[in-house]
Amino acid sequence: MNKIKLFKASLVALALATVCSVNAESLAITNATIHTVTEQGVLTNATVVIDDGKIIAINPDKIDADVVFDAMGKILTPGLIGSMNSLGLVEVNAVSRTRDASDKKADITFDASLAFNPRSTVVPYTRKGGITSNVTVPRGGESMFKGQTFVTDLSGEFDSVFIKENAVLIDLGAKSKGSRALNLQKLRYKLEDAQKALTKAAEEALDVKTAKKDKKADEKKKDPKELKRDEKIINAILAGDKPLVAYADRATDLLELLKLKAEFNIDLVIAGGADAILITEQIAAAKVPVIFGALDNLPSSFDSIHSSLENTAKLTQAGIKVSLAIDDAHNLYQLRFEAGNAIANGLTKEQALAAVTANVADAFNINAGRIAVGKRADLVLWSADPFELSTKVDKMWINGKEYSTQSRQDELRKRYTTNSDMPRGYTK
Amino acid sequence: MHNKQSIAPTLLAISVSLALSGCLQSEQQDPKVTINKNPYPSTYQPLPKQTTLIKNTTVLIGNGERIDNADVLMTDGKISQVGQNLSAAGAVEIDGTGKWLTPGVIDVHSHLGVYPSPSAESHSDGNEMSSPNTSEVWSEHSVWPQDPGFNAARAGGVTTMQILPGSANLFGGRGVTLRNVSSHTMQGMKFPDAPYGLKMACGENPKRVYGSRKVLPSTRMGNMAGYRMAWAEATEYKSAWEKYERDYQAGKNPLAPTRDLELDTLKGVLDGDILIHNHCYKAEEMAMMIDLGKEFNYKSGTFHHAIEGYKIADLLAENGNCAAMWPDWWGFKMEAYDMIHENVAVVNAVKNSCAVVHSDSSSTIQRLNQEAGKVMYRANENGFTLKPAEAIRWITLNAAKSLGIDDKTGSLEVGKNADVVLWNQSPFSVYAQAEQVFIDGAKVYDRFDDKYQAKSDFMLGQAEVPVSLQKGGK
Repeated sequence: MNKIKLFKASLVALALATVCSVNAESLAITNATIHTVTEQGVLTNATVVIDDGKIIAINPDKIDADVVFDAMGKILTPGLIGSMNSLGLVEVNAVSRTRDASDKKADITFDASLAFNPRSTVVPYTRKGGITSNVTVPRGGESMFKGQTFVTDLSGEFDSVFIKENAVLIDLGAKSKGSRALNLQKLRYKLEDAQKALTKAAEEALDVKTAKKDKKADEKKKDPKELKRDEKIINAILAGDKPLVAYADRATDLLELLKLKAEFNIDLVIAGGADAILITEQIAAAKVPVIFGALDNLPSSFDSIHSSLENTAKLTQAGIKVSLAIDDAHNLYQLRFEAGNAIANGLTKEQALAAVTANVADAFNINAGRIAVGKRADLVLWSADPFELSTKVDKMWINGKEYSTQSRQDELRKRYTTNSDMPRGYTK
Repeated sequence: MHNKQSIAPTLLAISVSLALSGCLQSEQQDPKVTINKNPYPSTYQPLPKQTTLIKNTTVLIGNGERIDNADVLMTDGKISQVGQNLSAAGAVEIDGTGKWLTPGVIDVHSHLGVYPSPSAESHSDGNEMSSPNTSEVWSEHSVWPQDPGFNAARAGGVTTMQILPGSANLFGGRGVTLRNVSSHTMQGMKFPDAPYGLKMACGENPKRVYGSRKVLPSTRMGNMAGYRMAWAEATEYKSAWEKYERDYQAGKNPLAPTRDLELDTLKGVLDGDILIHNHCYKAEEMAMMIDLGKEFNYKSGTFHHAIEGYKIADLLAENGNCAAMWPDWWGFKMEAYDMIHENVAVVNAVKNSCAVVHSDSSSTIQRLNQEAGKVMYRANENGFTLKPAEAIRWITLNAAKSLGIDDKTGSLEVGKNADVVLWNQSPFSVYAQAEQVFIDGAKVYDRFDDKYQAKSDFMLGQAEVPVSLQKGGK
């Protein structure tokens, strides 16, 4: 633990004063086949150097690191990034007291990161899938705003959460009670009202500035109206500081969202997007990323009649930045297999890797998902093709530190495959 | 309507009293009462078929054997030859070079048709959650044959599946085994002569559903009591029918026991006609369900989900139980907390075992090959030495055994139904695709030929682009 504290402290020092004397060990991974997910593409027989949780060099002229690790030519990728699941908020779905992703009263301000449990057994299990960080989503409550996402790494350390209140979630589309129209209307009104208020405030501020010193303006200056928390969040969306992640599937809902983006210049992300395939040109033109489930090929609802295993590839080929996601935390480890199936149905391997790394990072403004200088040192070394069923994670580094993929499941297996004269309970 | 209904009991009373008086007054026997065990018979007919010879391919037989560079001949809907350098006059030849051939995939646990896509209140017919014992319901009566999921599963190589009721009840009702063929009736899909299944459920689901209604069971001991009361009653019912049979055979004119649809099903199990399919996750519960079968003299059948199968692998094999498992689902309930990736492999490793990989999902049923592959690779990372020829059993022959149809399908042995999948590569790759699928020697799916890609009624006319009849319309 001390070492970790020291490590964190040094990071702070580095950030504050750019002092270079640090105690943490630097590491050079040499002789790797590096899939950078940048314009550099794939680098063979390459070296990456990491220090203080960041990538500090790729193929340096001289390798200067405390530890050197020979990757023996194996594939090194950025750590995969999960999203749209409740990892660390739910240990066992049917055990109510282990569920912290939702609350009836949750609204747009809901910050479930306060409930994140890095010691959940789901975290080390998920590392088996090469996942190094995750955009965790709350499930909200009665409000159409489900709360705010946060980003964690999968180290299992108590400081795993590294971005809080990262994006706002809204649930649109088909409703079992009432009309989908109302939520679309409410969203529009929210944005319009907030925009008006901002314009008015700006005008008043200008009035004050231009010294129209009437009494009223003076009062305003002394006592500016304190915004409510939810208003600040809507303003952050309008300012483009916070992505608005909208669950929606049917083309009409998606088109209305594109309109809102055009009118209010918001940073829109579509989650689900089953019908995106019908309006690829519009989505691509609006540069709206789509978070997608590659295996959702059934017409599971009347909003997703046009689902197909080929849609991930088709959306990508249309120029849409697609992220692949698994919305159930306990199955998150399978993300690479989902990407593999997308490859089997038309995606290229490069596109598939981006869909589980860089594209997710871009949609949620995370400084990870690529192997490039300055990025988080979240790296995975694979035994072979990362997407194949037969491949496993050989080694992984999260925030520059190596972590194991062993989990509770391995303990159980060992107990029940080890011979003993004593009851199983004695095998530990 | 009202009048008719009120008359009915009177008529019944008359007929009963007549029967009674007949019994007393004369030696003449009334017509013997027999129960039709197959009132909704299969009308399935194989699709148009041709003699087909698949040449030079990697063949996994399904029984643990593998033959490289082999040819497989399908004649009259059966596997007629497996070997090298085969030829057959007039056969359609398929070049299998670089490809793999396996038996048709069998899913022992599906809710296709009873929980179909799209998910809609109107089609949610998979679980009669109105009483803890609904042995009287039959899943086949809920099957919507237009579920688009059937077609998707066929594209994944699935040729046979058991459609089960859900797991809310101690006894959920009968399951039915279907051929995965396009049909507009359930009977048109029904696997000829396959035994019925009876869905039972252990653990959390029944006690949660009925406990919340203050009805037994609200505990696991309540679950056990519920099964035992039902089997005790079924034992009496069976005896009553047997006595009726004996007396009738002896020339007496006995009164037939009152027909009870619920007990008919349980009696079917006691008679050995209906196979148990038991949703059961935990080691201690499966161990008790095995003893329950011994207590009431029936076979405890297949344990479904069996998350903790690995803890009692020996017990399962000793008692002839199959276990149908996922490779990796877990964590949704306490009883699914102790999952290990190698569960199937550990169960499989015991002599006389019957490990099965199942889906219970309209999505993973399309990739049971990958599900089996995941088990094989994870197990091999941890001390096992499983080969594809072994892993394929979990979704073919062992599944057929679980359903009681292993004499008809599940392997590419000569004489068996020609249920066959041609894969573009090893089926245990994430990139594998089923290219052609045959049921009873008839091609039912071809990845590259639209002619062999069935489409559900529901999907017709769900146009991606509006059709404008006006010239110049967009």
